[in-house]
Order: sequence, then structure tokens, then C-alpha cells
Amino acid sequence: MSEMSQAQIERWRALDWKLIPGAPTEPLLNMALDEVLAERVGRGERAPTLCVWGWSRPCVVLGRFQSVRNEVDEDAAAMHGVQIVRRISGGGAMFIEPEGAITWSIYAPQDLVQGMTFAESYAHFDSWVVAALRELGLDAWYEPLNDITSSGGKIGGAAQSRRSGAVLHHTTMAYDMNIPLMTQVLRIGREKLSDKGVKSADRRVGPLRQQTSLPRQAIIDHMVNRFATQFGLQPDALSSEEIAEAEARVRDRFGADSWIHYLP
Amino acid sequence: MSSRERRRGVYKVPGGKLVAVEFAVVDGLLHDVVVTGDFFLYPEEALPVLSVAIEGALATESRNALAARIAAAIPEGVELVGASPEALAIAVDRGLHPAEPEAAP
Repeated sequence: MSEMSQAQIERWRALDWKLIPGAPTEPLLNMALDEVLAERVGRGERAPTLCVWGWSRPCVVLGRFQSVRNEVDEDAAAMHGVQIVRRISGGGAMFIEPEGAITWSIYAPQDLVQGMTFAESYAHFDSWVVAALRELGLDAWYEPLNDITSSGGKIGGAAQSRRSGAVLHHTTMAYDMNIPLMTQVLRIGREKLSDKGVKSADRRVGPLRQQTSLPRQAIIDHMVNRFATQFGLQPDALSSEEIAEAEARVRDRFGADSWIHYLP
Repeated sequence: MSSRERRRGVYKVPGGKLVAVEFAVVDGLLHDVVVTGDFFLYPEEALPVLSVAIEGALATESRNALAARIAAAIPEGVELVGASPEALAIAVDRGLHPAEPEAAP
């Protein structure tokens, strides 16, 4: 298992962690904020941060290297008011509904993962979450490369990017799933299904609502408390400069067709 | 084999990520190569390295030779995570030979 060693916990505790609590935010602004906050932490202009995300509307978040048409039925997405956005990190598409997902980002200096392989750093950044889920009674574990899972099914997936000396690690967990809408909007590839078919028993998705019977906010509060207890965490907010910089990037890049349809 | 028709091959790495390679075959060479998928690549801006590595390869090249060509094109400091040159070569092979039955699962 990927539990943190005492030395690793000390390294996390030595940082002056800040918490940005989730407020409903436009998906495009979330994409841009992720980059702005990572860069600012990398340059030392912002302290290491745990940011819980809020979503103001349903969306599909594409991985950096995914083709739009291979992942999404754009007509179905438009018909159901599901926005299509692209994030800065690799990995797979996520179907997000505001109350159906729990998403957060960690922005930390890159020395925190010094000497680790990428695979190790993925497990490292989610080990506190796995511990929090276990405290809620789940037998959760990390499934390399980038999944959080339990015997009740796959719970979530992570992606990482590195920017100006910072690691950005973001994770989305399924709280509640609107499977009929998701399967209309996302194209689940035959290759992917065949892979899942092989291990269908342990690869099925197990949203947290079904696995815990807890309200979404109660799970978030428990996670944040776990982080705060283990590493220390001070309440914080986005600065007006950070918001302005992210809004400018939405206009220039993240909202542009050349970014969203970068791989058509 | 010299039509401009787009070909597409997909490969899901067992326990890893999915890679898709799209291309045309012109005069026996792979052209207009586009690599997509849910893999990770660091830094992300290095994505063109992968398509450039495949561009101009012989359509008759073996999987191993193509994988070696891709591996040689990835510079120091660029890291493919969840996929590999071999995975990309398999995807190309599947795009070239779509009619061949898949190995039994």
C-alpha cells in the first residue's frame, strides 16, 4: 500500500498549506485557475494549496491529449446543456454534474515528489484521501496508475501536471452518477470497454453516495478535516489578481476553439 | 497502399492508458499523423514529438522497428506515462491492418 512514511508526513507538515473551499465556478474558469494557481505556487507567490472545486454547470472535462469527437457526442452535449472544456493535464474525460462529483486540486512545490517516479507520485498525492475514505468505512485502495477504488467499485481518477516548479495533482471522485445522461454524452470506446470487461467485477464504478450513504458535503468536510489534522491547513480565498489572471486566460486560451478542439 | 484515406488504430495498454494513432498512407509512408489518448506526457507541450516520430515511417516497418524509431525520437527530459513507444507502434499496426482479427482475449 502507498501509505505515507513518517518522513513524508513531516515534509507535508512543514508546508504552510492553504485551503480554498469550493464555490460554484464556471468550468472554463476552473480550467484556467488550475494553471494560474499551479504557476503561482511554483514561483512562490502563493503558499501550497488544497483547492476544493465547485462546478456551476454540467460539463465534460477532456484530458489534454484526447480527441473531442472520439470522446464526446457534441450534439448530445449541446442538447443537454453540457459544456465541453479541456484541462491542462493528460488522462481521461470526466463527465461532471455539480452535485455528482467531488473534485479538488493540490498545488505543491515539486521537491515534495523528489526521487519518486510519476506512478509513485500519483499514489503519494492521494494517499491521504484513501485514508479518509477508509475512515468512512470503505476498503479503499489506490489502483495504479491513477485510480482510487474499493471493493464497491472505482471511485475516482487523478491527473498530474508540472508547472514552473510546482506539481498540480487533481482528482475527481464520483459521488452520484447520471449514467443515462453520461452514456448519451460520452462515447465509451470499444477498446476501453473490452479492457473493463476483462475485470468487470472490480472495475465497475461505485459512486460514493452508494458506498457511504453520506451527503456529498459530509464527505468533503471529512476529507478536509483529515488533511487539516494530518498536515495543517489554513482557510484562504482566491485573490482578485488570481481571478483576473484566470479570466484573461479563459478569454485568450481556455475558452478558444483552438484550445478546446486542439485535437478535433 | 497509397490512398489518402485516414486510418486509425487504437491500443489500450493493459493496466495503463489508451493511445490512438490516425494517419494516411501516401506512397508507402505514414503521413499527417495525429496521436491522441488518455495517457500522460511530461511536459505536455512535447506531444508533437510523438507524431513527428511516426511521420514518414514505412508502412511496411515492423512493430519493433517502429517502436525503436519512436523511442529514439523521445528526447531526454520527456516522459510518456501510462503508454510507451511499443503501445504507439501497436496502434499504428492496427490502423494498417484493421481487418486482421484481434488476438483472443
